[in-house]
Amino acid sequence: MQTFLTALFTGTSHGAIYALVALGLVLVWRGAGLINFAQMGQAMFSAYIASTIINHHINYWWAFIVAIIAGGALGGAIDVLVIRPLKKKSGSSILSSPSMRDAIPVIASLGILGILQSAAGMIWAGEERGFPAPVSTLGLSIGKRAMPFTRFDIFVIVLIWLILIATTLLLNKTSVGLAMRASALNMEVARLSGIRTRSIRTLGWILSGSLASVAGLMVAPATNVSPNSLDLLMIIGFTACVIGGLNSLWGSVTGAFILGLTISFINIYDAPGDVFLGIFAILIAVMIFRPSGLFAKGKARNV
Amino acid sequence: MFKIRRNASIAIAFFVFVFAIGTFVGPYNQGQIAVALTLFIGVLSINILTGLSGQLSLGQGALMAVGGYGCALMMINAHLSMWLAIPLSLIASALVGLLLGLVAAKLSGPYLAGTTLVLALAMPTVANKFDSILGGDTGLSIDTGMPPTWLSKVMGDIAIEQWNLYVSLPFAALALFFAANLFTSQSSRRWRAVRDHESAAALVGINVERTKISVFVISSAFAGVAGALYGLRGLVGPSVFAISLSLSLLTGSILGGLRSIAGAGLGSVIIVFLPDWIGKVIHPFSLSDQVTNYLPAFVSGLLLVLTVVVNPSGLAALFAKIFRFSRVKR
Amino acid sequence: MLKIENLTVNFDANSALDNVSFSAEVGKITTVIGANGAGKSTLLRTISGLKAPKSGSITWRDSELVGMRPEAIVRAGVALVPEGHAVIPELTIDENIRMGALFRLRKAKSDVTTAIAEMYELFPQLADRRKAPSSTLSGGERQMLAIARALVSRPEILLLDEPSLGLAPLIVKQIIGIIEELCRKSGLTVLLVEQNANTALDVADHGVLLALGKVVADRPAKDLRADVSLREAYLGY
Repeated sequence: MQTFLTALFTGTSHGAIYALVALGLVLVWRGAGLINFAQMGQAMFSAYIASTIINHHINYWWAFIVAIIAGGALGGAIDVLVIRPLKKKSGSSILSSPSMRDAIPVIASLGILGILQSAAGMIWAGEERGFPAPVSTLGLSIGKRAMPFTRFDIFVIVLIWLILIATTLLLNKTSVGLAMRASALNMEVARLSGIRTRSIRTLGWILSGSLASVAGLMVAPATNVSPNSLDLLMIIGFTACVIGGLNSLWGSVTGAFILGLTISFINIYDAPGDVFLGIFAILIAVMIFRPSGLFAKGKARNV
Repeated sequence: MFKIRRNASIAIAFFVFVFAIGTFVGPYNQGQIAVALTLFIGVLSINILTGLSGQLSLGQGALMAVGGYGCALMMINAHLSMWLAIPLSLIASALVGLLLGLVAAKLSGPYLAGTTLVLALAMPTVANKFDSILGGDTGLSIDTGMPPTWLSKVMGDIAIEQWNLYVSLPFAALALFFAANLFTSQSSRRWRAVRDHESAAALVGINVERTKISVFVISSAFAGVAGALYGLRGLVGPSVFAISLSLSLLTGSILGGLRSIAGAGLGSVIIVFLPDWIGKVIHPFSLSDQVTNYLPAFVSGLLLVLTVVVNPSGLAALFAKIFRFSRVKR
Repeated sequence: MLKIENLTVNFDANSALDNVSFSAEVGKITTVIGANGAGKSTLLRTISGLKAPKSGSITWRDSELVGMRPEAIVRAGVALVPEGHAVIPELTIDENIRMGALFRLRKAKSDVTTAIAEMYELFPQLADRRKAPSSTLSGGERQMLAIARALVSRPEILLLDEPSLGLAPLIVKQIIGIIEELCRKSGLTVLLVEQNANTALDVADHGVLLALGKVVADRPAKDLRADVSLREAYLGY
């Protein structure tokens, strides 16, 4: 029973982090129509910045805020410096076919990931750094009973649920959110309504970068920080989106929790080595029966 | 018929040209050329899959791994000669490609990219699962063995790097020949139709799903041969076919040119020799290790992004444009 | 005045524009009629900035629109209702309308509220179902919603692309009636593109006949309606 609860809580807490990654990916996907493979590279870079700040004996929360800003700034910079010029090139022959028009920006994001990782390596010597958690990561006990979760697990779950709810409110209840949804759903009608879709898209990149940074800071105490330390998180978050369906925000979040629990149960009841096989099995099963994800409405965006 | 004869002479010219270069350079560069020839076949597999049919795979390295393991198993367990095992290994990868293609044909862009990426990541787990056969994390050792005595008699002493080059070269030339035929064939026209106008292609009676699957199988066969040769440098194991291999193949394909054979050639040369070139350039400046270690990756990332933004058709198309001599098919 | 001078646009072989010039008077309804593929939609999309012209100029109240981004053109008071009931079906009716007013929120918040209320008065069918996704609307209601989305930005000139397409005559009459009333009462300038020439010429002050991307007639709507030979030659009836 205790083992089961531990698996459940760890899974939920990890699932919450994956959900944040997935949310960031979906925001950019819906706004700009590409999977941003550099996303966790941005987060890694900002985690290094945060770690540098903390090493200077500055308060964790200042570092937290700086990391969020840095992640957002990197996201915005990628949109302005790479994606916008890319969209302007749509006249070139290779970009005239729709499948390539979708593939090329994805490849660009892989290149950006390479740049960010090697730049981090050059700046911070690629050393693996420990990273503190804001609250204790040791087992929590209430009275004499050891609880199957830690203070940090609870912190992560609460923080991330707050962020998920805030993001949903932002998208559904505010004017900016309406502009973001309208631009994602139908760019032309949005532009004809006077919405500055370009700026709105950049905003999506910034938001996505910030969310990714939070996710990065939440796993850093467990994985440490190194140029490649967030690759796994990126891949799991992406798989969550694919399983849940990229066009459905809550679908990807659900996919993330499914994966979080799956991984945690495989880790505890089977062997950590089987994690990827498990993920792959789920992914293949979903792709065979629901090629556009579990929660896709209608046909997937035709790419 | 004319095209086949022309493609054959190009392949033979390629063989002679690389053979000649291989005789003049030292062992280090011979080894590098051998790797470039191997990766040329791997990049071709991407140019066929992504360039001709528009499907983006991030796990081409996994298909190479299938070829590599296939080759190793045939050589170790069935004691097959390398010359038999290499061509046979493409059957293994083509079969896996078929299975993957059956799923892939239903998937649109990002879903396909995701599935292939996770496949590449799951590969080490498979190697560990079947530890006794596949050798787990360590992998299986195979190599190209000793050069035959008649060759040593003709050429004098042959270094292992040079022998690796001579083993890769015929396969690279054959791959070049087959790819050239593919790029100019009737069926590639159907593939391009699927790539550029999927729904229109379906309307004129092209079976889109079957087309996508067949491209997947052919591309996997190329990857399989590349994987066998890649493993024959000494080791077939998870570390050899890491995810970074898939990504550098993709980088090579984009830098050189996604839609041409010349592009695959240029691309594979760039990914193999770039670190050497960078080393030469920065040699006079005494940079710290942390910079020199990461500089090649930094530069290739930068080149990838620049290529995509400035000239997405790649170097081959750029040269073709400059020389107005184009074998690049749109 | 919306002034179009020597406008040339390359598009597909047909539906291009070749040296088109005409103007639309402020406070009047000007209609552009012509057969399918005459370049009518291309004209409106070029005015709205969705297509770049090869040459020529488009001026609205003496400011040049060519080269401006579509969202800037809307902000300059030129609103387009594109062809085919252009609403976003995934959004609710209320969101579709609000979307058109988003850019005015910062400067004229109270007027936005008034404008939205006015839209529901203008199209009472929409008022009852504000929170429903607009995918639940009928074709006519969607067209009304698309027009409301454009009008809520308080444009000075409204460009309408075939509002009657695929709609029942009664609904067409209601929609055209509302447009006419807006023009006569509040001085809205209207540029109406129609394939249904009779409906358009009935309400319009001025008519422009487009054929294969060229202006073949540019005169008062009444005259154009009366010219049977011209209509037979270019519209087939």
